[in-house]
Amino acid sequence: MSTSEQKKVLVCGKPELRTGFPSLYCPGCHYGIITRVICEVLEELKLGGKAIGFAGVGCSFGGAPISIGIDWASCPHGRAPAMASAAKRIHPDALVFTLQGDGDLGAIGLGCFLSAVLRNENLTTIFLNNAGYGQTGGQLAPTTLTGMKTTTTQQGRRREDGFPFHGAELAAYHKAVAYSARVTVHTPGNFKKAKRVLTTAFQKQMSGAGYSFVEFISACPSVWGMSPVDSVAYIQEHMLKEFPLGEFKNIDSIYD
Amino acid sequence: MTKGEIIILDDTCKGCALCVEYCPKGCIQISRDKFTRSGALLPEFINPEECVACGTCGNMCPDFAIEVYKFIDESE
Repeated sequence: MSTSEQKKVLVCGKPELRTGFPSLYCPGCHYGIITRVICEVLEELKLGGKAIGFAGVGCSFGGAPISIGIDWASCPHGRAPAMASAAKRIHPDALVFTLQGDGDLGAIGLGCFLSAVLRNENLTTIFLNNAGYGQTGGQLAPTTLTGMKTTTTQQGRRREDGFPFHGAELAAYHKAVAYSARVTVHTPGNFKKAKRVLTTAFQKQMSGAGYSFVEFISACPSVWGMSPVDSVAYIQEHMLKEFPLGEFKNIDSIYD
Repeated sequence: MTKGEIIILDDTCKGCALCVEYCPKGCIQISRDKFTRSGALLPEFINPEECVACGTCGNMCPDFAIEVYKFIDESE
């Protein structure tokens, strides 16, 4: 087999929606992989020109708006569902989604998120759960695991300090939510599952089914104080015990 | 068997070594003497015969720093 008869074909490269701006995330941060999931799903659904993203405050805001070539708005802390509700009412045909971290949605923005759910808004929320406040230096977040060390819980989070926040289960409990799932991107197989789940979530919004919610378990090697490879093992051993994966709700319409 | 090739983009790689962890064929390893811009050790493509162009390293790279190519025979 001579090489002159062979052609080189690109099978995996930068998605078209990814801008040329270099990633601002720390080495080994899974938010970069989630950026690829969002880009590829938007390309496969051909919704790149119709999508409007709303990024909350935190690492989700730090990288996504400059990385993904769609319309974006940066929101006050925790208020992404409120701004997204306005955009969806003005542009009912657009795909409107919010991209929020665990401090943004689980702590300061919990009221705004639940208000949007209780108003039957037709939005998609992507919840990035990395069990800590990444951008501000690794303080205790609502999703921090019991026993996990952070800069504000040096001895590990005690049970007396509270239990971790479960976003996907909370969303699934509400009548206005049509789709709720938790996924992870720490293995290649789970990467493919995450793409399928996010595709379903966007399709639920475009078909007018109701609120869709996708929670991504993600590693934060800088805050956890581990190497990127060790943090993948930590997700498998500890994070997935506390946060089980799967679809918690999947209905075709909330009005049936 | 499909043959493949990867290109590691030196200017965007941050040296997190997730590609080394995820490659099912062991084609990537961390080099000893090449560095990224921030001073981390760069990975390098060491085993071109084993690569089957599955694209796992490219998909799992958080910094979009790996391009995966597949060789297609044009003689048929």
